[in-house]
Amino acid sequence: MTIRFTLNGRPVALDTDPGRRAVDILREDLGALSVKEGCGTGECGACSVLLDGELKLSCLLLAAQLEGREVVTCEGLGDQDAPHALQVAFAEHGAVQCGFCTPGMVLAAESLLRENPDPDREDVRRGLSGNLCRCTGYVKIVDAVQAAARERRGGRRKK
Amino acid sequence: MTRVLLPATLPELWEALAACPEAPLLAGGTDLLVRLRARRQRPEALVGLERLAELRTIRRQGRGLRIGALATHAMIARHPLVLRHAPVLARAVSEVGGPAIRNMGTLGGNLCTASPAGDSLPALAVLEARVELLSAGGTRLLPLSEFLLGPGRAALAPGEIVGAVRVPLSADFQVQHFEKAGRRAALAIAVVSLAVLARLEKGMVAEARLAVGSAAPTVLRCPEAEEFLRGRRLTLSALERAARAVRAAVRPIDDARASAGYRRQVAGNLLLRLADL
Amino acid sequence: MSGRFPRVDALPKACGAERFAADQYPEGCLWAGAFRPGAAHARVLAVHTAEALALPGVLKVLTAADVPGANLQGIVHKDQPVLCGDVVRHAGDPVALVLAESREALERALGLLRADLEPLPAVFDPREAMRPGAPRVHAGREGGNVLMAAEIRKGDAARALAACPVVVRGTFETPRQAPAFLETECGVARRLPDGVLDMTVSTQSPFRDRFEVAQALGLDPLSVRVRAPYLGGGFGGKDGSTVQCLLALAALHADGRPVRMAWSREESFSAGYKRHPSILRCELGADRDGTLRALRCRMVLDTGAYAHLGGEVLELGMEHMAGPYRVPHILVRGFCVYTNNPVSGAMRGFGVAQATFCAERMMDRLAAKLGLDPLELRLKNVLGPGEENACGVRLTGSTEARACLTALRDHPFWASRREWAAQAPARTRRGVAVALAHNAMGYGGGLPDMAAAKVELTEEGRFRIYCAVSDMGQGNVGGHAAMAAQALNQPREELDIVLPDTERCHPSGSSAAGRTTYTFGNALLKACAAMADKVRARAALFLLCDDPSSLVLESGRVIWPDACKSVSLALMARFLPRDDRISVAEFAMPVAREVSGASRGFVLGFPHLLFAYSAHLARVELDELTGRVRVADYFAATDGGGVVLPQGFEQQIQGGAAQGLGLALMEDCASRDGRLLTPDLSTYLVPTALDLPEIGSLAVPSHESSGPGGLKGVGEVAMDAPLPAVASAVEQAAGIRLDAAPLTPERVLAALRRARKNT
Repeated sequence: MTIRFTLNGRPVALDTDPGRRAVDILREDLGALSVKEGCGTGECGACSVLLDGELKLSCLLLAAQLEGREVVTCEGLGDQDAPHALQVAFAEHGAVQCGFCTPGMVLAAESLLRENPDPDREDVRRGLSGNLCRCTGYVKIVDAVQAAARERRGGRRKK
Repeated sequence: MTRVLLPATLPELWEALAACPEAPLLAGGTDLLVRLRARRQRPEALVGLERLAELRTIRRQGRGLRIGALATHAMIARHPLVLRHAPVLARAVSEVGGPAIRNMGTLGGNLCTASPAGDSLPALAVLEARVELLSAGGTRLLPLSEFLLGPGRAALAPGEIVGAVRVPLSADFQVQHFEKAGRRAALAIAVVSLAVLARLEKGMVAEARLAVGSAAPTVLRCPEAEEFLRGRRLTLSALERAARAVRAAVRPIDDARASAGYRRQVAGNLLLRLADL
Repeated sequence: MSGRFPRVDALPKACGAERFAADQYPEGCLWAGAFRPGAAHARVLAVHTAEALALPGVLKVLTAADVPGANLQGIVHKDQPVLCGDVVRHAGDPVALVLAESREALERALGLLRADLEPLPAVFDPREAMRPGAPRVHAGREGGNVLMAAEIRKGDAARALAACPVVVRGTFETPRQAPAFLETECGVARRLPDGVLDMTVSTQSPFRDRFEVAQALGLDPLSVRVRAPYLGGGFGGKDGSTVQCLLALAALHADGRPVRMAWSREESFSAGYKRHPSILRCELGADRDGTLRALRCRMVLDTGAYAHLGGEVLELGMEHMAGPYRVPHILVRGFCVYTNNPVSGAMRGFGVAQATFCAERMMDRLAAKLGLDPLELRLKNVLGPGEENACGVRLTGSTEARACLTALRDHPFWASRREWAAQAPARTRRGVAVALAHNAMGYGGGLPDMAAAKVELTEEGRFRIYCAVSDMGQGNVGGHAAMAAQALNQPREELDIVLPDTERCHPSGSSAAGRTTYTFGNALLKACAAMADKVRARAALFLLCDDPSSLVLESGRVIWPDACKSVSLALMARFLPRDDRISVAEFAMPVAREVSGASRGFVLGFPHLLFAYSAHLARVELDELTGRVRVADYFAATDGGGVVLPQGFEQQIQGGAAQGLGLALMEDCASRDGRLLTPDLSTYLVPTALDLPEIGSLAVPSHESSGPGGLKGVGEVAMDAPLPAVASAVEQAAGIRLDAAPLTPERVLAALRRARKNT
């Protein structure tokens, strides 16, 4: 069966078993390797994607559910040549250690900032509470999200 | 190859259900897909409900709210009508999982999973919600207590789905309280939870409704404790005595998350929080 | 852009562009997976493979009979089969390995495999396992279930204790903690046409892996190549063979096709390595003024079904049992014991986290008994530079434990502790407490802790750094790049970086034991210095300068300031053969030569000479209704030597403290009859962003003269103090003593109720 959707702004048509998990087709068929699998049961947030702008877990989505939708992964926010403000802030503020949770964390932060452009530290912690990080203790991640939020409110470098 | 049917209208849904009567129903997927994975199962067909737009809406209906079964926890938690008329429910669903799980999981899914730990259930119980069941043959309404039969068991007939939950308006209950005791602050499964509605007149309880989650095969109302509180102020000593009635009413189990003894104790203790409100 | 970021790996990772072992999907790769029947102890009568083999897309189902070599792996003791043939010894033991064309076919095959098992008597409690007549985990093994028994003795602890006016006692238990890295154990392998087995694995120990794979499968070590990209977390759990031997076995049967293996989260919990659960019994004696006199204790560790690094974890734990204090008389007996539980192994804080819980709670107990301030009691006994520690080692390295404690004494959280506690809201109790930890660096005596670094001037005239130690997330590659950039006077982004690869790098040991940056960094600095000298010497030929020391190496060129001449590295490199463009240097960590105490039973890894120190302060709130403990604020003062990268230092402290707080609050691989009750991340809980406090960090002034840039390893020490600090703060808050971790709401509430009944 052919499934058509938009991945990071580009249309995709994929002939596949519609019962496969979204995380598997994104990684294995479409090369969106920023989408990580940490648990397969919706408990870690590493496989987070934005689906029609909403933060969702691609390990709990089937390929068929992507039909007609718009999927954004961490690659879709920015790359090393033109990084997104959150990606820059994560790198600058020490929010990245092993980096395996980072793409999902960046998407969760993006989702949070779209809803709440001026979160306090507790708001940030709540917004990221579905994404486990095992390296940082979260402190520098909160720093990074607040820094990116400040920059975004300042209206500079919007991507 | 798994067939995934995604009907967009109710007639299409009835057709799909007739064609694949064995197919599991997929709402938010946060529970079903986890269970299928644990069993290493790939069903031949799945019927996904997510495109049934008419089941996603939240609106006033008569003297209550009608919350579509496919409304997600996140939608309910921030919906102005829910916040105004049933804040206890908004509070409860905002404690589900984490942000992404709340964007996926639905109220109907939480009901049909019928877990004793379902976060929305104590709130729906004190709100005295009714469950609207739809099938090709029509619509029927069941009180929540008749819909939930036991752990993982709900009164769904073959070919029937939960279409919506009808919630009477509760704004005249000044006390709307929900607390979940989990083993961590987010992504937690309730070890025990408590929802409370109380209407006060001149500082006295005119009506109290208490429901405990994770402490019995299904969510449990506590009529003895409710009765005891009627006519009293929410003082620590009154709450202590009501808490004793709650502890006597619950029927908890031991599992990896907590012992029955802990659940029984905390089921009562959570009531004492009302003294500090 | 990259110059903005303290770590070279940060932006690629933040953009999702870094490729981990988990991200390897070579063209045409097969999927390998292990069948683990789930019995804790059983004889394997038969493995039924026909049904699975008949599935479309299933290529092979291998069993023990297909393993060509010794079929035994293990870092020190070779006791763990790659595939079990006769017996399974814990619920995660594998008996078959499936090779399939796709993820789906693999899953279906694993669902169809069956084994006939005959249950054997099993043992799950290490104390029971030590008794004569207990079921044997390894039949016929000399020593029975006791993997290792050891003793540290200095002075006469029994006599000294009998003479002490004050003695406190305690028994403590710590849980089985899982590393729970986000990237589970994984890798890819392929047998190349020339016979080389080419593996890319998420591993902390690529060089050792090569030998383990070769020995287990009967291969020539030279025919095994292991590469380690950035790891998605390690924390000790990827030190030693996880997927390596299974993957290699699969590749040997894959007809030259690449094979991929990635453990599911559930498999990671059941088969991966976890922190040793411990039982610690202790007596501590002192004078009335609080001067420590004697310590006697017994440590029992549950290593599970296989040794892994159990003996070495025991040794390190025993070595730290007295805390960073002066204790003239000590007797520590330790036992590491086989059971039919899941396998224990290396994990951050490697025995020390367990020992520190006991040591620090004993100090609190002593302070309470003597009516002394717990911080002052520690200050009174804390070790200083040049003193002899409890194991008889003279501390000739940097020893700023006192400064760590002093920083806490001066901290507002400590000064305001009584006021803060008094302002607790209703139904809430508040407590503030401190704990101090020391943590040895390096492998310890008997095991050369050595690294060899290679630096190359490439044909293009760039410098290439061969990072031979894995970066599991702690940022050593970034640290090494920064050191090399400075030593070679080049912009950091101009350096080429090669990640660990046994074919291109020199053996440099594992990424572990707080030794990574210290040992490899020292080797790298030497290699860079030699390279800089060499480049100046060669440039002197080009510039016709008879004094190379008057030349200056700078970005992309060498200049002769006096003559206003320069030559580009790119030009020079074209004239030099490759061998001449390479510089290699090595470094070995100093070890303790002088030990005044007596010890028995130690083989490898004892004693240590260098230690990091960390004093932690926790403000804790306890909810009387649920027993929930919330750590409200946290602060760590650390002696990690000199700070080369302040951000990296803080990352290690915050991350270590976070894992220590997880251990204190919730983490526990609970099991019953050898089966995990916490098989996944919904039951094995690690802290979310809402469960952890802000974690403040202060580096006390310190300089370790033997370290690169004066630094010491700080990867482990932050892990050790959180558990005793939180337990002590809970005692301060509510007068309850919890000597078994984690401090779950259930345990706290039960203790509160007991306390209420007793009053």
